[in-house]
Amino acid sequence: MVQQTLPEVTTVAPADRLAGVRRILLNSGVWIILIVLVAIVYASAPSFRSPLSLVLIGTDAAFIGIIAAGQTMVILTGGIDLSVEAMIGFSSVVAAMLISGVTRGDAHVGGGMASWLAMLIAIGLGTVIGLLQGIIVTGLNIHPFIVTLGFLSILQGAALALTDGSPINVTSDPLIDFLSNTISIGSLKLPMPLIIMAVIYGIIWVILRHTKLGRYTYAIGGNETATRLSGINISRSKIILYGISGMLSAISGMLLMSRLSAGAYQNGTGYTLNSVAAVVIGGTALAGGIGGIWGTFAGVFVIVVVQQALVYMDVTSDGQKRIVIGIIIVLAVAFDVARRGRVPAVQWVRQAMRSVRARGRSVSS
Amino acid sequence: MRIENETLFPPTNESDVVLSVRGISKTFPGVRALDHVNLDVRAGEVHCVVGENGAGKSTLMKILSGAYSKDEGAIFFKGIERSFASPKEAQEAGIAIIYQELNLIPYLSITENIYLGNELQRGSLPLLNWPKMHAGARDALTPLHLTIDPHTLVMNLGIAAQQMIEIAKALHHRADLIIMDEPTSALSLNEIEDLFTIIGELKAQGVSIVYISHHLDEIFKIGDRITVLRDGRNVGTLNVAEATSEQMIRMMVGRDLADQFPKVTAERGAEILRVEGLTRHGVLENISFSLHRGEIVGIAGLVGAGRTELVRAIFGADLIDSGRIFIDSQEVLIRAPADAIRHGMGLLTEDRKQQGLILGMSARENMTLPILRNLTSTPFTDGRKESEVAQRYIKSMAIKTPNEEQKVINLSGGTQQKVVLGKWMAITPRILIFDEPTRGIDVGAKVEIYNLMNELARQGVGILMVSSELPEILGMSDRILVIAQGRLAGELSRAEATQEKILAYATGFVEQTLQN
Repeated sequence: MVQQTLPEVTTVAPADRLAGVRRILLNSGVWIILIVLVAIVYASAPSFRSPLSLVLIGTDAAFIGIIAAGQTMVILTGGIDLSVEAMIGFSSVVAAMLISGVTRGDAHVGGGMASWLAMLIAIGLGTVIGLLQGIIVTGLNIHPFIVTLGFLSILQGAALALTDGSPINVTSDPLIDFLSNTISIGSLKLPMPLIIMAVIYGIIWVILRHTKLGRYTYAIGGNETATRLSGINISRSKIILYGISGMLSAISGMLLMSRLSAGAYQNGTGYTLNSVAAVVIGGTALAGGIGGIWGTFAGVFVIVVVQQALVYMDVTSDGQKRIVIGIIIVLAVAFDVARRGRVPAVQWVRQAMRSVRARGRSVSS
Repeated sequence: MRIENETLFPPTNESDVVLSVRGISKTFPGVRALDHVNLDVRAGEVHCVVGENGAGKSTLMKILSGAYSKDEGAIFFKGIERSFASPKEAQEAGIAIIYQELNLIPYLSITENIYLGNELQRGSLPLLNWPKMHAGARDALTPLHLTIDPHTLVMNLGIAAQQMIEIAKALHHRADLIIMDEPTSALSLNEIEDLFTIIGELKAQGVSIVYISHHLDEIFKIGDRITVLRDGRNVGTLNVAEATSEQMIRMMVGRDLADQFPKVTAERGAEILRVEGLTRHGVLENISFSLHRGEIVGIAGLVGAGRTELVRAIFGADLIDSGRIFIDSQEVLIRAPADAIRHGMGLLTEDRKQQGLILGMSARENMTLPILRNLTSTPFTDGRKESEVAQRYIKSMAIKTPNEEQKVINLSGGTQQKVVLGKWMAITPRILIFDEPTRGIDVGAKVEIYNLMNELARQGVGILMVSSELPEILGMSDRILVIAQGRLAGELSRAEATQEKILAYATGFVEQTLQN
């Protein structure tokens, strides 16, 4: 083999089988936060303990969670997708139009398509629009923040124009019922959107940890220059990821439409910020390269539990709710960060104590 | 006078000892970086500190300059025991450190950099006193014979000038001790001479210099004494006048290194790479050359001549305007690194941390990145196959890592470079391009890299080696191409090459007419 002038050859220890477990434990700060949160609410709000609350929380979590899954992948490459909430509204409008048609003045246009086909078309359209955003980001070298912000406006505008501002009702049928239903396992009632979210997260986990696309995602976020010089087609990977984000947003749009029995341009309002927050609370860095899907899973529930908990604890005014939510989110991330390493705040306190002690000494001497 | 492993006792009362370090220890999780290190620095001396990567040099320097805290031991500076809680405290005490990567803000002016953290204000108002600061900056530059306008932004200065600004900063803060970490790695020979002149003047003023370097020839030029660190311990301090390089290397490495440049001339095979008329407007002009199997062709030239740009163009990292590339006598179109890799070409970049490695990933993930698409035919990855590949190169190259899952950010410079090399060996290359293969790597690891290059050449790989270290070019190349201002200025065979001839071509002093 290779000529060495060194006497020893290093013996190589077998790969640490527990490396994966250790990584999970290190990144599990958000789960601890979630458990503590749930414990606090469980203890202080009796109405929280009913199986119905799990259904409500689970359903809300699913709508945000499914788009947060796509957001996780995009953020891992150092990008972002701000168009997700508009995609929900837009896709729901498209599907609703195909199913129920739309009223323009006196005329009723369209409608009559089977719901499964309409949903597939809407999801397909969402995917294509996502791919388009990816192509613009990579082909024109424009920052994803700008491109997806632009599409946020475009999609919202399109949904508004198509519906003239009013929601399109969708009559229930077996598929729509199925998607908004709950499944009972023993005394536990699980909403279908939550089950679908869990399945999606499992698939995304496999993609991120066991496929080439997943590896390239982490590599691009970790060091895009080195990845390009290793021969990886970065544009291709990014385009696919924005397509996935568009697809997942449209899927969430279909589930929300089934729940509300209506396609409207306002569907999904406010979900963008929550999806980004869930990803960040979950431990994925905004610069990319670090993080994972299960952290986002916990992050989504942290946000939803906080929102719902305030309802259960009777903090009804919207302003108070938002203040508390904000404080909790900051504290949660601060706790997680401080747990992992040195933070300047600790140094400041130490310095302050040292100077207080020094001043005390000089006074007494 | 030979001082070896002094036991802990109060500092000597020699009045000219300005810094005395006793029993310093520092442990990081899993690593004992410093183990009861003693060190004395006298006033007005150039005290060189050498050691392999991981020997503890930069840890010791960071403790002295206040960036790290020590676990054990004492520091006596100018006779008083000190404990620096921050770099600012060390700076105020009179210790300055000039890092290898330089600590300047490129978008700010010379004045702003010199006064960073110590800005002058107009009386008691919180308004900056620019006239006074600019004048002060000019005064700081004078002792260094610099007449640059202090308004100049640092990023518009060359590396050598930037280094001078760092020294000016140190003098401005009335440093009695200046620590220089690898100051010459980015300097040309002329600039190094200028630096040594400045160091001589500082010595005359009584300023002490702690000089960290891998370049033993520099140590012989300007060093008074040299301390060797190995595995966190002070292995010994010698007077440079009485020391030999074999002695130093033996102390650093703990064993005899047969040869610093173990060149083994491999059998030269058929032409593997031919470049014709390579042109990139404003950067490269009409460059043509060929490379054979088993050959190591060195690419020399001044900083900025276009050497890195040349190899990047060949590799497809940059697009060319005209020119043809032939691999194994077949013309190929290379428009992206993926094309080059497909044809069996690899590029080890000059900056492994920024361009060669994904620091947050493991050795295995880094090493398998280019070949990931070929390891499996499905979209899925195969962890076992990846481990096999990684283990193969960890063993064959003796890569110092506990296993392949270690994050590369935790590995030493030489080990990281081996991981990068492993990545490229995994594509079973026909052509390997090394850009500054041993930059920032200690003597022991350098020899390992050279041996690996020899082995690759022996196996028939054609090697291009860009290097700014002339001894390395002369020591390892079969042929040398000299690039000057984007053009091929000269070509020398191993037998006829000398430092003077290379420099003559590189500086444009001599133009060789080349037969094409």
